[in-house]
Amino acid sequence: MVNLTINGIQFQAETGLTILQAARTQGIYIPTLCHDERLVAHGACRICVVEVKGARALMPSCSTPAAEGMVIETQSPTVVEARKEILRLMIENHPLDCLTCEKSGNCTLQNLCYEYDIKEGGFNGKKKNYPIDDSNPFFTYDPNKCILCGRCVRVDNELQCTGAINFIERGFNTHVGVAGDREFDDSVCVSCGNCVSVCPVGALMPKQPEKFRYWDIEKVRTTCSYCGVGCQMDLLVKNNKVVGVEPIDMEPNNGLLCVKGKFGYKFLNHPDRLRTPLIRKDGVLKEASWDEAMNLIASKIKDFKKESGPEAFGALSSARCTNEENYLMQKLFRAVIGTNNVDHCARL
Amino acid sequence: MEMINLTIDGIPVRVAKGATVMEAAKTIGIDIPALCYLKDVNEVGACRICVVEVERARSLQASCVLPAAEGMVVHTESPSVIAARKEILRLILDNHPNDCLTCDKAGECKLQEYAYRYDVKFREHDGDRKTARIDTSNPYIYRDDSKCILCGRCVSICGQIQERSILGFGNRGFTTHIIADNEKALGESACVSCGRCISVCPVGALLDNRIIGKARAWEAQKEEVKCKRCDYGCDFELLKKDDKVVGVRAKAPGGGRPLCLKGKLSLDLLYTNSPSAPLIKKDGEYTEVTWAEALEMEDLLKKLGQSNNL
Repeated sequence: MVNLTINGIQFQAETGLTILQAARTQGIYIPTLCHDERLVAHGACRICVVEVKGARALMPSCSTPAAEGMVIETQSPTVVEARKEILRLMIENHPLDCLTCEKSGNCTLQNLCYEYDIKEGGFNGKKKNYPIDDSNPFFTYDPNKCILCGRCVRVDNELQCTGAINFIERGFNTHVGVAGDREFDDSVCVSCGNCVSVCPVGALMPKQPEKFRYWDIEKVRTTCSYCGVGCQMDLLVKNNKVVGVEPIDMEPNNGLLCVKGKFGYKFLNHPDRLRTPLIRKDGVLKEASWDEAMNLIASKIKDFKKESGPEAFGALSSARCTNEENYLMQKLFRAVIGTNNVDHCARL
Repeated sequence: MEMINLTIDGIPVRVAKGATVMEAAKTIGIDIPALCYLKDVNEVGACRICVVEVERARSLQASCVLPAAEGMVVHTESPSVIAARKEILRLILDNHPNDCLTCDKAGECKLQEYAYRYDVKFREHDGDRKTARIDTSNPYIYRDDSKCILCGRCVSICGQIQERSILGFGNRGFTTHIIADNEKALGESACVSCGRCISVCPVGALLDNRIIGKARAWEAQKEEVKCKRCDYGCDFELLKKDDKVVGVRAKAPGGGRPLCLKGKLSLDLLYTNSPSAPLIKKDGEYTEVTWAEALEMEDLLKKLGQSNNL
């Protein structure tokens, strides 16, 4: 354990924590932009700087280990002024586009500018001017809104391990891009969308089926239905229509999704989607209730079992079901119907 | 009741005689944008954002003040309507600060909503702009003239109470702006800080000064409450952040009652976790006073104190 004093509060923290992690154990808030608990500390944005007594300069709390006897101030005038200057520099080279920006309401840069009352940079400097990359079918990339926090690069290289994107060039010309500075569509990108999920600003944005603002949507927590992993996610719902998906940072997916979970939700509102069971009556499929359908299946199973015995049955289940559902399926066939003819599409 | 039949966006609509085209459209779920229009308060057709195309009419018509007529054929989102709305929004934005980054109205601003809906952005121009004139002389009302779009809602709602009628239009043309009394600072005018003007402002020109910086519109949970200070029961709204009430704001006057500062302060004291001290005007200056004095309960408390001693 190490003894720390943060904002006058004395406490013991476990050895090995960063100042940020130690502060959070006490509910002390320190703003962050490039920080992500799942990734190797990067210390790029410097918004999390704190004053450590005796230290030469302000220290990035996300990457400075908490050491014995440290006396730390997280909101001192020097710290606040440093954060303001960082925000001024960021907003100077960022389009002032909150009026119509799709990220507005969910943008960390916007939230911090509000918190520290930064309205503009005021340096009258140069602004980036890159073309918008619209080539990927699932997301758009506007490098002009990028603040170079590196979360996309790190999630791609450390967690997704595709290695499609990285920093290109140096200094003012630094930007995030794919190999050879080509378009996303012309790269090894697998469109998992994890870079889109972690972008704190409007640089990487999902292509949406319809326009919406973050303050007009409702979030509905659900489990992805594509495979048995059971990734946790929030559906973004506007007027009872799913308009986006965001991963949740918890087991089993820890804030990650694949291309299907992240972007493959448009079938939900598709007019061809079956919404009720269909029962064939006089050669035509007609909509029926679940009770009707279940009763029909049960009675047919009984009839066939009486007629041909349990070995006439076979069951094939799906890798898209959960382990529990697959277990119940084989249980139903072994214990209720009485056959071992059970198989699974993922066995091959 | 005499009924009128008309067609809006190809859908036949039947409404009572006297209804406007905007009201008729609303009955079939068509949302026509409106900036200046506010039912029973401001029906003046000033902002023109609600224009629609009426077949055989000479020009686009303001749907908020256009009575529905028999056989009318209306298009609410035709190319010429959209072009007109975009141009109106561009002109408004040309003279509006690009400040959504930190503006307290962001997320609830009608101008922002329609600019997003019609995809109109701020543009660079070297034309004139209003100069920022921020009036903080009234501790309850934050007034930023540079954000005003001159819709007139505040003037109308203030004028509904005869003895108030503080706000009005001053000057002409490009220099038109909202004035209090005879061009006085709000704090020096006869304004009684009832907050009616704040409750109707569609943009960030009039804000509740006591909640500025407390929470962004999208992170605040809202809960409606009725003021119980008098029998009329005006509507107020609690703004909560992390389950703490950070502010109370006026929403709508109760029937026949105008909203008042006493009501607002009572709710502030009742609900807000750490309410700012009340200020009332004494000899023309806003002075910090005790809650008992602000709520005019000093006599009552004194009497209660005496009865406790008995």
